[in-house]
Amino acid sequence: MNERRDDKLTAAAQQLATGIQPQRDLWPDIERAITEPVPRRSRWMPMFAQAAAIVLLVGASSGLTYLAMKDDTPAEIQQLRPEYTFARASFGTNHTLGRDYLDTRADVVARFEQQLERLSPAERQDVEQSLEVIREAIDDINAALQQDPDNTLLQDLLMKTYHEELNVMRKVGGVTQSVMSRRDI
Amino acid sequence: MAALLTVETGDNTAGMVSRTAIPMRDEAALIARAQSGDTRAFEALYREHVDRVYGLCLRMTGNVGEAEDCAQEAFIQAWKKLARFRGDSAFGTWMHRIAVNAVLGRIRKSKREQDRIQVAAERTTSPASIGDSGDLRDLSDAIDRLPEGARHVFVLNAVYGYSHQESSDMLGIAVGTTKAQLHRARRLLAQQLKEQGFEA
Repeated sequence: MNERRDDKLTAAAQQLATGIQPQRDLWPDIERAITEPVPRRSRWMPMFAQAAAIVLLVGASSGLTYLAMKDDTPAEIQQLRPEYTFARASFGTNHTLGRDYLDTRADVVARFEQQLERLSPAERQDVEQSLEVIREAIDDINAALQQDPDNTLLQDLLMKTYHEELNVMRKVGGVTQSVMSRRDI
Repeated sequence: MAALLTVETGDNTAGMVSRTAIPMRDEAALIARAQSGDTRAFEALYREHVDRVYGLCLRMTGNVGEAEDCAQEAFIQAWKKLARFRGDSAFGTWMHRIAVNAVLGRIRKSKREQDRIQVAAERTTSPASIGDSGDLRDLSDAIDRLPEGARHVFVLNAVYGYSHQESSDMLGIAVGTTKAQLHRARRLLAQQLKEQGFEA
């Protein structure tokens, strides 16, 4: 009985339509998918990502260099007066650095200048070169912000770059805290 | 052996396409042209096979939108893999294999299967029954309400006539499992149709 039932079911199933026409023509979408060139990633990183990477790399390398050299006894220590000047602190036409940040920065710079005097010429040169690169980046970002003051990506990048500059000085000056937030601009 | 192929052209705004016969083409020649990058030849292959590919997708998914997506995906994948098609099986069988993969991949990616089962249980008519007539619509609706595994095996084996070995290859399961699922599908279908007053 079961076999007869299965036979009838099989016979009925074999009569079901195997080809059903779609309600819409699928070809246009298929054609688009197979003929459109596959988007290729640019070989070049976005400009801002490159700038950020450079800044972070410089910051990290200068910090590591300082830490590596910190434990070595310098062969000869010369007491030199640092010629340190502030990096220009503007965020385009519509933004300025906040007072909290400037106060923190002034404190860090004071300690940094004191500690810088104790470094060997080689150490000083390394730190100052790192800071120079960071400040050039700050100038470049500031210039870009002059053209596009409301660009949040640039603002973030500038904030991170200032933070990097502060970190380098903090490591040299032995300052343990620096505070900067987006509200500072 | 030459096969008469048709090309569907014209206005698709109303969901209808007209069929215009084109000169006879040998499917192997079309495949060779498509393999060399001829999209027109591939379109001709699409026109020839879309109904069976879409039908399979619709019977396996029970959902018009998903069936359309799966059929599209199957043809896109076929285009990408066309260079590897050596004619060991019929082109239609090869397309069916890709379509089954598209359906299974979609089911794995989405969690809509449970929703589909719920919808299928609530509705009275299967979208796939549109191609059927009379009492066959009841069978089509009953198939649509089958559990996923049983439905897939029944569709491939009983509706499309694939062997247990072919079905198991397509679905990536053991032959014994397809036999068990087919038996389960038959039992459930007979039960459903009996409840509806039909003597299967």
